[in-house]
Amino acid sequence: MTIVLNGKGFKLPRVEKEKFVNLIHLGLDYDRNAGLFSIKSYNNIEKVIDAVSDILKDDVVFLQSCIRCGKDFSCRGCNYIDLCTTKNLPFSCVCSQCLKDRKNFETYLTQF
Amino acid sequence: MTANEEALMWVEKYRPKTFNEVVGLADIVESLQAFMRNPKTMPHLMFAGVPGTGKTTLALVIAHTLYGANWRSFTLELNASDERGIDTVRDRIKDFSRYSRTGFGGDIPFALIILDECDQMTGPAQTALRRIMEIGSRTSRFILICNQSSKIIEPIQSRCAIFRFSRVDKQAMKQHLLDVAEKEGYTLVPEAADRLVDFAEGDLRHAINALQTASAYKEGVIDEKTVLLVIGEASPSQVQKMIRKALYGDFMEARKTMYDIMGSFGFSGTEIIRQVQREIFKMSDLTAEQKANLSGVIGEYDYRLTQGANSDIQLSALLAQFAKFGKDIEESYAGAN
Amino acid sequence: MQAQTDLLWVEKYRPKKIDDITGNDEAKALFLEWLKNKRHTKKAVLLYGPPGVGKTALVLSASRELGFSVIEMNASDTRSEKAINAIAKPATSYKALDNFTENAKVSGNVLFLDEVDGIAGNEDRGGVNAILKIIEASLVPIIMAANDPDIEKLRPLKKECLLIRFQQVRIPLIIALLQKICLLEHITAEFEALERIAQNSKGDVRSAINDLQSLSEENHRLSLQDTMMLTSRNKDISMDETLRRYFSTQNIAETSTMLAFSSVDYDDFLLSISDNLPKRYTDLTELAKAYDYISHADLFRGRIGTENWHLLKYFYNALAEASAVNPQSYKPFTFVTPPIRIITLFWTKGKRTMLDTICGKIGAQCHVSHKTAKHDFVPYIRAILQKKPKSPLVVWFKFTPEEVDFLTKMSRY
Repeated sequence: MTIVLNGKGFKLPRVEKEKFVNLIHLGLDYDRNAGLFSIKSYNNIEKVIDAVSDILKDDVVFLQSCIRCGKDFSCRGCNYIDLCTTKNLPFSCVCSQCLKDRKNFETYLTQF
Repeated sequence: MTANEEALMWVEKYRPKTFNEVVGLADIVESLQAFMRNPKTMPHLMFAGVPGTGKTTLALVIAHTLYGANWRSFTLELNASDERGIDTVRDRIKDFSRYSRTGFGGDIPFALIILDECDQMTGPAQTALRRIMEIGSRTSRFILICNQSSKIIEPIQSRCAIFRFSRVDKQAMKQHLLDVAEKEGYTLVPEAADRLVDFAEGDLRHAINALQTASAYKEGVIDEKTVLLVIGEASPSQVQKMIRKALYGDFMEARKTMYDIMGSFGFSGTEIIRQVQREIFKMSDLTAEQKANLSGVIGEYDYRLTQGANSDIQLSALLAQFAKFGKDIEESYAGAN
Repeated sequence: MQAQTDLLWVEKYRPKKIDDITGNDEAKALFLEWLKNKRHTKKAVLLYGPPGVGKTALVLSASRELGFSVIEMNASDTRSEKAINAIAKPATSYKALDNFTENAKVSGNVLFLDEVDGIAGNEDRGGVNAILKIIEASLVPIIMAANDPDIEKLRPLKKECLLIRFQQVRIPLIIALLQKICLLEHITAEFEALERIAQNSKGDVRSAINDLQSLSEENHRLSLQDTMMLTSRNKDISMDETLRRYFSTQNIAETSTMLAFSSVDYDDFLLSISDNLPKRYTDLTELAKAYDYISHADLFRGRIGTENWHLLKYFYNALAEASAVNPQSYKPFTFVTPPIRIITLFWTKGKRTMLDTICGKIGAQCHVSHKTAKHDFVPYIRAILQKKPKSPLVVWFKFTPEEVDFLTKMSRY
């Protein structure tokens, strides 16, 4: 079972200091009040996934956010997944509905 | 012909359900009917022959005849090429044997296991199959279907009654096509029927599918022009076109056709090479010796495909060999004159 | 020539604002944070990633939008310590970048060194050191950009910088950008065509825009068929040169030597050779012989896989034999890139899986294997559905709308 996380804020179980420090070092931020991790720097994103995966003892994928409609969606079912070098990583993207929806697109353009 | 009204592909709709409906194959039908009269005497069966000649149909007819309307409960259909290995086959047979009830609605003391494309199985897999057949013999009968019986190991062959299926007779095929067309409300022009029969080369399945495709192009009358259009776009024709262009020295065009085939049909390199092997034998403008020589080259590249990294490179190389072959023949004719 | 560059869409649609940059939002955010932070932990930042993804665009648009000046220098142009000092040294005495908010106009400068990985080997050993010294002495923030930061010689530099990574721009984002340009340029383009351009671009926005322009500008229309003209991106000039030398070689020894010292990617090279072999050898006997050698090269490549590099010499040997079948018959020719790369792009794992599922559905109804369904049924069913998309076959086979769409469009690869 693959775990799906939201890069803007996700919870992890309590880990020992060494692992926590490593996560921060790899580019994560931790909000003490909310108890949520978020991704600050993407330079080591592959290592972040490995580390989180290791902590959760399962495969981890991240949601994408759509720059048009703003909602979060997963990479599963995307037509271009085989060619994508950043698949399952929490970068911004366009969801398939927005990509194909002409009316949606024209509304988006009026912002310019 | 009783039609299976639910089925919408004509190959299924007009597939014979009883021995009476089967056209041709008189000798085979006679032997099988003898078994039907006393099922306990029926051994394991092997049906061998080129595609589209009625092997699966006859296996299903046997199932219908033995078990009647509920034949699906007593029949397991498997494709050796679809299953992931002999272990999956074994598991499926074991599960089936566990749940099938014999004797319900009849006194047939066994269930039927139809295993298609057995010649695709590796040697070790076939050895394992033999043991499965032995263990299952009390409660099941196997019908093994293959294209080439020579690819089946001897211990299995010796446990089966082997029936050989040959290409459907041209006249019988033509008649069948005319019948199906009529039943579907179309008029099939005789010349069009002839084109279909020539194209099919004894494979009834291709003939009927092509006919059904033609019917989607035109209402009412299916004429020669429509049929030629359909045939031209079908993959056997494309593969033949590719081969011919290569043999006649137009390498670039041959390669372009190869890309078209890969792109529009999604065939892998190995699939195309197997089709090349099939089509070579159908080509009447080659002598038997030429076919044999080409076959050797094809075999060599078939092997290389499995070892190499890029199918389009191996296929291009094969087409280049064809081109040289064609050139050599032409030069030897020129030299002889 | 001002007028001419305006006609180029990559110029016309060059991002003027930071938000206009497609993709790499995350890198953008980090960069801006670095810029705005008065007390930088690091004075220098290194933007790295594949070409055409917005590194330079970010620097220039940020400068425009936020109002600071950029002193630009291409490190691959000037290759000595002396030259760098001559240009950059004065910058160290410029006013440092003031802290700024979004609204305030700022003065101040940054130094921008583009393509720092262009500092070549031995002759420019001084180059890296000079930059290090500048970073140390500078009162001005320094921005550097590189395509490939993993070169050994850049290691000393990397320690002194904040590293910000840029990724290949994702395909949907590129498609969205192309859609926008089509609207503004009044181009009627098929969605599949834009898809194809985006897929071919390997995340390089610049090349995607160039491709769009070259294919559609004339007629203001773009069909999928037009995209067959797309060649696969040969970013490496040395590939073309190596191919030219390969085909015009005089003997096997010459080719062997050349191959030993070239740094082209083996797989790309092998494919390009195969693509162009019939243009090199118009005599069919020569072609057959050459192809036989190439076929062997491919075999060796297959056997090498990812670990058996000791077999590389056999691979090279076969390539060399193929090049020298008949040196006399060489005539210069233009290279071709057949559509096989595009076909491979199209037939992704996802598409193969879908085809296999379709074959399974056919097999279940018609008592055939997946393989038989693919050869003996799919081409016909596809033709029927193309003529009659609402055929009752769809319901009978239980095809989903995506599967029907796939089948009918399959031949339009």
